[in-house]
Amino acid sequence: MWWLRSPDNARFSSQSFSRMTLATATPSEEARDTAGASRSGSRRSGPDTAFHFLVAASALLVLVVLGGLVVLMGIGGGQAFRTFGLGFAFSDVWNPVADLYGAWAPLFGTIVSTLIGVAIALPLAFGTAFWLTAMAPPRIAAIVGTAVQLLAAVPSIIFGMWGFFTIVPFMARTVQPFLTHHFKHVPGIRFIIHGAPFGTGLMTAGLVLAVMIAPFMTAVMRDVFAAMPNMLRESAYGLGATRWDVMWKVVVPWSRSGMIGAIVLGMGRALGETMAVTFVIGNVTAVGWSLFAPRSTVASLIALQFPESPAGSLRLSALLALGFILMLLSFASLALARMLRGNTK
Amino acid sequence: MTSGTLQGMTQDSMMTKTDPQAAKIPEVALAVRNLNFYYGENHALHDISVDFQARRVTAMIGPSGCGKSTLLRIFNRMYDLYPGQRATGEVMFDGRNILDHDLDLNILRARVGMVFQKPTPFPMSIYDNIAFGVRLHEKLNKADMDARVQDVLTRVALWNEVRDRLNAPASGLSGGQQQRLCIARSIATRPEVLLLDEPTSALDPISTARIEELLDELKEEFTIAIVTHNMQQAARCADQVAFFYMGRLIEVDSADRMFTNPKQQQTQDYITGRFG
Repeated sequence: MWWLRSPDNARFSSQSFSRMTLATATPSEEARDTAGASRSGSRRSGPDTAFHFLVAASALLVLVVLGGLVVLMGIGGGQAFRTFGLGFAFSDVWNPVADLYGAWAPLFGTIVSTLIGVAIALPLAFGTAFWLTAMAPPRIAAIVGTAVQLLAAVPSIIFGMWGFFTIVPFMARTVQPFLTHHFKHVPGIRFIIHGAPFGTGLMTAGLVLAVMIAPFMTAVMRDVFAAMPNMLRESAYGLGATRWDVMWKVVVPWSRSGMIGAIVLGMGRALGETMAVTFVIGNVTAVGWSLFAPRSTVASLIALQFPESPAGSLRLSALLALGFILMLLSFASLALARMLRGNTK
Repeated sequence: MTSGTLQGMTQDSMMTKTDPQAAKIPEVALAVRNLNFYYGENHALHDISVDFQARRVTAMIGPSGCGKSTLLRIFNRMYDLYPGQRATGEVMFDGRNILDHDLDLNILRARVGMVFQKPTPFPMSIYDNIAFGVRLHEKLNKADMDARVQDVLTRVALWNEVRDRLNAPASGLSGGQQQRLCIARSIATRPEVLLLDEPTSALDPISTARIEELLDELKEEFTIAIVTHNMQQAARCADQVAFFYMGRLIEVDSADRMFTNPKQQQTQDYITGRFG
């Protein structure tokens, strides 16, 4: 897992090693180098060549598959891009009757529900992981840790049904009436809670997504925290720091790159999550700031409309174009993570 | 305890400077009595009683697993971080038993600093590494904090090497520099006792020599307890040496007598390298 290999960490553990082995390692390394040079010359045997070819091929296959996906989505969506131009990405019209399509409504739904999901899951995951690694009694940590893994293994459709039967009614009957009653005249908040109490919408989708991605983020963060040298933690406590100081001033800065990895993992899953979101988001292709009105996401829209779109139709092309944009969005989140990670050093 | 008043562990008493006259009298800083320690069911220290003299270096030697690091970690209650570890008996420090349940650990740890086997710089700048511990216990303005940082870095002979890059990450320093930074960090909170757990085991000979020189200067002001696997180091640095074996204190004496004329056969065997 690349996000665990923080440069600080590597240096910490290898420091004494490299010093100790420096003197003795040099001659043997030279010997190995010369042996390697003669082997890579004319004496390469048959099985070795075959092995070389196989491992190289499996690595190159990654490139082929990735390129194939981008090309397929790009070509498939070409008709839509040609018809609507760049405006496709920014138009909020999705009208199969008039054969007019724009990506903004589902894109908006995807981005906002993902952000809500990550925003809720992040503190949950951080708290769970910190408690599990630093504070929980070992036996309870083992039980909760296993439960986290089990939760991560639950198929998304289960979360969809759970969301539909539990969260949606809860939002419709409790949360929305409460918010409407207390905040409907508050200017800054009114437009966020506006809408009939259906229970479906971005907030519900975000909640379900948060429950889905939190276990993944917890697992990654737990590994990151566990990889932190005990001595570093003890150094901080040894100066008289409280748990709060140690968490914010030592653990968080030390594990920053790992935590960014956890966030990206969660975001990637939330961006593409289809089934669970389809159950609870309401599936209306509209744009608006209310978090409690039915919306749609890219993945849910594709899943719902794909079977009804005939081959060669502009509608099918528009769906493929949506898929293309969703891929770009995922790549962009990964690139952002790399950038943030680069800054830590 | 020879010091008369039973001061509570307050911020005030933490700041009282040591009387230079007192340095001549070997007064006891840590008095260990009938101390037992358990890792769960494992009885790791058996009935230890020993005095650590103030402003002297006491070295703890013995083969791996003999309990010397365990003893060190009792003095700042580090074991409290781990469930299942417990100590019984008495460790008197400034009129109080360190093992008391109602002791304020954060204040204890400000008064008893610790340095580890490997350098453990925090993921922050050189300046902040020092200021981190100070900020936990004192509210200093910028000028006072700058002065404190310069003071402790000067005392560990690091100031000239880092004065131009105080805001650079501490991880960029060499191993020996990092360890001196960690010592500076520990003395920045103005402790009375300094615990060193094999502080040079990850360092090259030159860095090791510099740390040992440093100990000689630091003992003017601090009571130092050092765990070491290196007999020469114990002989060079320590005033008093305690030999541990299998969780028991076998012998404690001045460094001179310990290395020339030990009373116990086991001690003799260990320091001459016959086992351990």
